[in-house]
Amino acid sequence: MPLLKIDDKEIQVKSGATVLETAEENGIEIPHYCYHPALETVGSCRMCLVQVEGMPKLQVSCNTFVGDVHPDRKVDGKYDMVVHTQTDLVVQERKNILEFLLLNHPLDCPVCDQAGECYLQDYSFKFGNAHSRFMENKRVRSNEYLGSQIVINHNRCILCSRCVRFTQEISGTSELYVEARGYNSKVAALEEKPLDNLLAGNVADICPVGALLSTDYIHKNRIWNLKKQPSVCQDCSVGCNIDVFSQKNQIFRLSPRENHDVNGYFMCDIGRYGFHRFEEIERVTKPMIRKGDSFVSIEWEKAILDTAKALKSAKAEVSGVTSPFHTNETNFMLGLMVDGIIGNLSQINDEEITYPSGFRISNDRSPNRNGMNDVCPVNVEDFISEIDKQNIRTIYILDDGVDRDFDEVWKSILSKMDFVIVQTYRMTMLAQSANIILPGLAPFEREGTITNDRGRVQWLRPSLPINGESRADWEILMMVMKTMDKKAQVFTDLSQVIMEMCEKIPAYKDVSFFKLGEKGLSLNGATPE
Amino acid sequence: MNTFKPVLTEHINQKDCHTLQFYKSVGGYIGLEKVLKMNPENVTQEVKDSNLRGRGGAGFSTGVKWGFIPKDSSKPKYLINNADESEPGTFKDRLLMNKAPHQMLEGMIIAAYAIGCHTSFIYIRGEFYKEYKILEKTIAEAYENNILGQNILGSNYNLDVVIHRGAGAYICGEETGLIESLEGKRGWPRIKPPFPAIEGYLQSPTIVNNVETLSCIPHIINRGSNWFKSIGPEKGPGPRLFCISGCVNNPGVYEEPMGIPLKDLIYEKAGGIPDGKQLKAVFPGGSSSAILTADEAFDVKMDYEDLVEKKSMLGSAGVIVMDETVDMVQACLNIARFYAHESCGQCTPCREGTAWLVKMLTRIVNGNGTPNDIDMLLDITDNIGGLIDFSQGSFGKTICPFGEAVSWPVRSFVEKFKDEFLEYVPKEKVFA
Repeated sequence: MPLLKIDDKEIQVKSGATVLETAEENGIEIPHYCYHPALETVGSCRMCLVQVEGMPKLQVSCNTFVGDVHPDRKVDGKYDMVVHTQTDLVVQERKNILEFLLLNHPLDCPVCDQAGECYLQDYSFKFGNAHSRFMENKRVRSNEYLGSQIVINHNRCILCSRCVRFTQEISGTSELYVEARGYNSKVAALEEKPLDNLLAGNVADICPVGALLSTDYIHKNRIWNLKKQPSVCQDCSVGCNIDVFSQKNQIFRLSPRENHDVNGYFMCDIGRYGFHRFEEIERVTKPMIRKGDSFVSIEWEKAILDTAKALKSAKAEVSGVTSPFHTNETNFMLGLMVDGIIGNLSQINDEEITYPSGFRISNDRSPNRNGMNDVCPVNVEDFISEIDKQNIRTIYILDDGVDRDFDEVWKSILSKMDFVIVQTYRMTMLAQSANIILPGLAPFEREGTITNDRGRVQWLRPSLPINGESRADWEILMMVMKTMDKKAQVFTDLSQVIMEMCEKIPAYKDVSFFKLGEKGLSLNGATPE
Repeated sequence: MNTFKPVLTEHINQKDCHTLQFYKSVGGYIGLEKVLKMNPENVTQEVKDSNLRGRGGAGFSTGVKWGFIPKDSSKPKYLINNADESEPGTFKDRLLMNKAPHQMLEGMIIAAYAIGCHTSFIYIRGEFYKEYKILEKTIAEAYENNILGQNILGSNYNLDVVIHRGAGAYICGEETGLIESLEGKRGWPRIKPPFPAIEGYLQSPTIVNNVETLSCIPHIINRGSNWFKSIGPEKGPGPRLFCISGCVNNPGVYEEPMGIPLKDLIYEKAGGIPDGKQLKAVFPGGSSSAILTADEAFDVKMDYEDLVEKKSMLGSAGVIVMDETVDMVQACLNIARFYAHESCGQCTPCREGTAWLVKMLTRIVNGNGTPNDIDMLLDITDNIGGLIDFSQGSFGKTICPFGEAVSWPVRSFVEKFKDEFLEYVPKEKVFA
């Protein structure tokens, strides 16, 4: 393995690694703009220049590869390469590049959404000049829409071409290109093909400055006001890792979080803007009981008592309905509670999309079908006829929260029921048919584990506070169980549920929040590439 | 050197000199026949031995370049003839394509044979329409006479030649920009490594040679590398086409041996400066080379080493002569404007810096300059392309040499004609 020396640090590197990658991995900061690990290297921003001993020119560290050199040519008898990132020459060169980049930059940080997470701002602060020598007029252009949800502010653009390469290499759709030449260059979208693919939102994320903006977030908030919560996207069974940015009880934006076993660096727009769905729904935040054609609020104690009573009187003739939208723990608890038959609501399918880069959007738009089937499998072949056969009159449903029209089959099932308990967060069609509604948590309030379609268990963490009187879904089931059977095992927090689940479900024996961490855990042993 | 007889342009004044029949009558394609019986490695060695250096501008050894083609690669190899001649003050390749296209083609076939290439391209500047038509005819003639195509001249060597017309960008004369353009992409130079000899056109080993370079090849094969080396200085020998333009009585292309004194070129070959005016400055190698003052010009030999010593370069050998009446500030602005217009816009220093230079120079020309501007101009050119002294970190600040190509001339204007720049600065401000 080649031995690289960066400043005072000696590093063993894999042959063929670049200086920039190696520096990043070892906590040495080399500023850069055009380099992005997911994209092809172009070396055009010239920000990552470093000094390499034995080379007359400064080298772009993103395209300088470390390899074994002949023993006679090693520097100081042992180094395959010696790199300096802090010499006067390098420090001055960074100042020069930043000076060029800021010549035509509007310096409108006070109204720029990128402020606070802007590499132009940060590098200027760390490496730039305090003064400008530029006395001429700046180049001024008006903003343009590149697609229906992406706006470009040309004045802020530093032409690193990350967005252009993204559409060429990751989405494979090539809507973006650089128009004109030299000083007049600007990023543009094809007139006949605007930037409207389902990965478009990523270009705003990978833009190192405030040039590309998602219309969804323009002038909505300041980044330093927002709380950043690592979590997992729940809009399809891929389970992209995300960061949720929120303030108080409002989500402002989602952005992808790097995980090479799942989503790489990106996420799709379905998930990215999906959180808006929950902003206008009719939330259920209080337990309710049916009175004729309408519902009235009741106390939790009474709701639980009534539920327990209904379940108990039905004895074994209770069926449960699990949900691929709920966590493993909630589904597992339902399995513990219901002795009878278990069924599912119909699957909602959509288009399956795989991009040239391998990025996927699954046709199964529920986040946890795999986990649901693992921890609480359907135990009868034909749910419908089994209900008839066993003359089941009571049903406990974990509601998806998806507002769907019921098919004839479900209509007939519900019509046969004497007592319907729906645990939900929103007034769906299903909830309308309930006798008792128990208010659970909405997707961004939930905590637990979910298992994606490649068998990776991931930690879903709550990003919003609990709304109203709603309770965690596993907790509601726990309360019902305890009320039904005083001797039932009691779990006081989620990790105890997980421990129990690990014991009962062999495939999940290694699962714990600690082991899941930020990146999750594959049930298949080795992590799939 | 009075005995020097033109080599590349020997026959250009004769009737129908561009035809195959004529070229054969003066010994054309004999070299090719010889080469087709040789081992390709020996062809490369012969060219290496001749010390032929690229005529496009960089002056890299042609034989060494061919030697970079990997021997064990299973990928196809490509030869690209760079006929994008776009350096201001340079018009030698056009002449060669016009008058001696078969000489160039023979050089191409020999080069292609040496590197094991079976598809070769001529990337011709879009504006050269007449030359394009001539080359079309040349290639058709060659195919008809079994000089191109399958089993060339009875050997088992095959070669196809394709002409591709550029769309008029200066940067597409830079070899990696040219390759991108040939692939149908935007003419943005590529970052190196990998070098084209390893991964060039379609990620395959590729050699890019200039028209004049290739035109030298048949003569090296015919007369041997020692003959070639005997012309001019040994480190960079051979005949050279000098393009003389600007303030001279007889502008044009002059074929002379390498190392001819610049003074002789201007005063003997090109007939001196009209109306007995004084020489003020000369670009020795196209507008990308640092400008020489009259004193320097009188004292320089036109070879690679001597010009580098004078902190300029031979470049494309486009000699642009300026007499005493030329306003150096305006000339500098003109040059800067050209480069700002042609900058591809990929690298930060070049995209932003070239435009900044133009804005500053325009301001100075409009009488709004300040004395500080002079130092600032020098500093900006330094930041785009570096100093001309090749000390560490003082060059190579951009992906391709365009950064140097704009910095060096502008810097040399400001350094050498500082007084003229100061004259543009309003007086009250000078003493303020």
